[in-house]
Amino acid sequence: MVKEECKALLDALSKVAACYRHMVLTIGGTSDSQNLREELKKTRQKAQELAVANRNKLTAVLKDKTVSKEDKAEFERLWVIFSTCMEILEIDMRRALELGQEFPLNVPKKHLIQTGMSGGTSGVAARAMSVQNMKYEAEHNIDVVDLKDLENEINQVGEMMYEMEMKVNVPQWTVEAKQDPGAELKSTISVGASSIGMISVEENKSFCDISKVLAGIIFSAVLIIAIVLAVCVVKLS
Amino acid sequence: MGAGLLLKTQILRGAWPKMERVIVSMQDPDMGIKMRNQRLLITVIPHAMTGNDIVEWLIQKYSISEEESLHLGNLLVKHGYIYPLKDPRSLVLRADDSPYRFQTPYFWTSSKWPATELDYAIYLAKKNIRKQGDLIDHEKDNYNLLHKRINHTWDFVVMQAREQLRAAKQRRKGDRIVIDCQEQAYWLVNRPPPGALNVLEHGPERRNCHISRVQLPENTDYYKREIECCRKAMGRTRVKSSICLEGYIKFNEQYVPHDPIMSGCLPSNPWITDDTTYWAMNAPTVMTPTKLRVERWGFGFSELLGDTLGRRQLLEFLKKEFSAENLSFWEACEELRYGEQARIADIVDSIYQQFLAPGATRWVNIDSKTMERTLEGIKTPHRYVMDDAQMHIYMLMKKDSYPRFLKSELYRSLLAEAIMPPETKKRVFPFMRKQRHSSPSPALLLPTGEPEVKAEDQSKVVAVPMES
Repeated sequence: MVKEECKALLDALSKVAACYRHMVLTIGGTSDSQNLREELKKTRQKAQELAVANRNKLTAVLKDKTVSKEDKAEFERLWVIFSTCMEILEIDMRRALELGQEFPLNVPKKHLIQTGMSGGTSGVAARAMSVQNMKYEAEHNIDVVDLKDLENEINQVGEMMYEMEMKVNVPQWTVEAKQDPGAELKSTISVGASSIGMISVEENKSFCDISKVLAGIIFSAVLIIAIVLAVCVVKLS
Repeated sequence: MGAGLLLKTQILRGAWPKMERVIVSMQDPDMGIKMRNQRLLITVIPHAMTGNDIVEWLIQKYSISEEESLHLGNLLVKHGYIYPLKDPRSLVLRADDSPYRFQTPYFWTSSKWPATELDYAIYLAKKNIRKQGDLIDHEKDNYNLLHKRINHTWDFVVMQAREQLRAAKQRRKGDRIVIDCQEQAYWLVNRPPPGALNVLEHGPERRNCHISRVQLPENTDYYKREIECCRKAMGRTRVKSSICLEGYIKFNEQYVPHDPIMSGCLPSNPWITDDTTYWAMNAPTVMTPTKLRVERWGFGFSELLGDTLGRRQLLEFLKKEFSAENLSFWEACEELRYGEQARIADIVDSIYQQFLAPGATRWVNIDSKTMERTLEGIKTPHRYVMDDAQMHIYMLMKKDSYPRFLKSELYRSLLAEAIMPPETKKRVFPFMRKQRHSSPSPALLLPTGEPEVKAEDQSKVVAVPMES
C-alpha cells in the first residue's frame, strides 16, 4: 500500500518536473509571455508541494525499521529517483531565474529571440496542474515580481536537498535499475519494467515475420497460377 | 593544427556573452534580420532566415568584409546559437538560401550550465522511443555507456523521458517540430559525433585570463591599488612611437646587409650547399675576420665587446693607450656576475686587490661616490656588488676609448685586411653538382688554420665579382 502511494507521488512529481522543464525551455523565445511566467510560478509551487509530500513519505518509510529487506531496497531505489528529480528541478529553477532576469517582458529595448514557436504552453501547464484549463489571474508585471519569490524558493529547495542528504543515508551505488536498456520501447502502461513486456514485443516481431513469409508464399503462388493460366489461354487460342 | 584549434576554442569560451549580444541585436524588429516562414508539408513555421540574410546583416551591422562576416556567422552556428534546418548535422553557415533558425536561450552554450549526463541520457531515451530503437551508432554506444554509468537513476531517466514526450504532445504540431530541432541541434553541439569538431573541448589548461577570471571584491583596497598602479604607470618614461619606429627602421637598415637570411651569406649557405666555409670563416677565433664582421664592430660598443676577436683588438688598442686595465676590470666584473656562487668571495677579493685597492697595480679610475659605495658593498660580497663600478667603466670606455678606436690606425688596417669570400659559382652541368649528403657537424672540424686553406680552394673556382 505504502509502496503504491510512494510510486504515485513520485510519478506525479516526475510529471510536473517534465512540464516545468518544457516551460523553462520556452523562456526568452517568442512564446514567452506573462502567462508563461505565471504558469511557471504555479507549476513550481505544485512541484514543491509534491516534493515535500514525497520527502515526508519516503523518509518515514526509510526510517521504519520494520520494513523487509526487498521493500527497503525498493524504497531506496525510489529515494534515488526522488533525489535525482529534485536535482533536475533545482537546476531548472535556477535557469528559470537566470533566463527570467535576462529576458524581462515589458522592456521595449530587450527583444525576445525568434525561435519559431508560435503556440502557448497552457496545455502543458494544465497537465502539470492536473486541471482542464488554466486560469490566469496574475498582474501584468509578474515576470519581474516573481523573480524574488523564485530566488527564495530556490534557496528553500537547496536547503531541503541538503537536509535530505544529511538525514537519509542511501548510498546511490547500491541501487540497481530495474529497467534494461531499451525498456522504454515497449508499451508504457506500467512504469516499472517487466520482462513479460519485453518477450511479448519479441513474439510480436517473430509473429509478424511468419505472417510476412506466408503472405509472400501465397502471393507468389497466385502469381505463378496466373502466369500458367495466361500461357494456357495463349496456347489454346 | 590541433593546438591552434584548441587555443581558438579556449579564447572563444570568453566570447560566448558577445555572441549572445549579437544574437539579441539580430532580433530587433526594425534593424534585425528579416524573417521568413518555413513551409513544411502541412505546417508553416515562422522565424526562419537564409544563410545569405545572416551574412548580409552582419556585413551591414558591423561594416565588415564578406569573408569576416562568413567567419563570424560560422562561429555562431558552430557554437549552437543558430542551427541549420535543412542539413542539421552539418553545423556550417552557407551563404545561400539554406534556412536557419535561432536557438532558444535555454540551449545557449554556457559554461555555467554544462550539458549533464543525465540530460543526455533522457534525450537519448526520448529519441529511442520516437525512433523505435533506431539510434545512430555513436548514440547507441553512448546510450549503453550511460545505462552503465548512471544505472542508479536509469529508472528515472526512462520515467522522465516518457513524461517529457507526453508534455510535448500538449503543444501544437509546429512547436513540437521546433522543439525537436532545437534539442537535436543542442546535442549536436554538446555531444558531437566522433570525428566532428568539438567546440567545447578543453585543451590543456593554460593560464589564460579569459578562463580563470577571479572576481576580486571591488572595495576601497582594490581601488586604492588600482590608483597606485595607474600612478606608477603614468610616471614611467615613455618614448614617442615616432622616435621608436625611426630607431627601429635605422637599426634594420643598418643590419640588413649583415643578415645571412635577408642578404645571403658568402660564400654560400651551408644549409643548402653543405659547404661549411661560411661557419669556418666566421668562427669566434679566426686569424682574419670577414669584412662584414669588422664593419659591425663600428655599429656600437656592445658589438665590439661582444665579439671575441673584437675584444682582443680593443685590448691591443687600449694597451697602446695605457688604459687596458679598464677592459680587464670590466671582464673581471663579468666573471663575477656570471660565475660560480662558491667563488664569489674570492673573485671580489681579487678584483679589489687588483683594481680597487689604493696603490693597486691596475688601479681603475672610478669617481669617488661609486668607489665609496663599492667599498661598502665589498664587505658583504654578492654577485652584483660591482655593478655600479662596472657600469661606470663601461660608459667610460664607450664614450672615450671606443670613438678613438674606430678612428685609429689599428681599426683601419683591420678593415683593409678583412676578407670578403667570393660566392661559389653554381655549377652549370647538373651531374657536376655536389651531391647533398649528411655531413658531420662543422663544430667538430674547425682547426684555426683551415680558413686559409679554404681560401686557396676558392680561388680555383671562378671568382664572381663581388657587390660592394
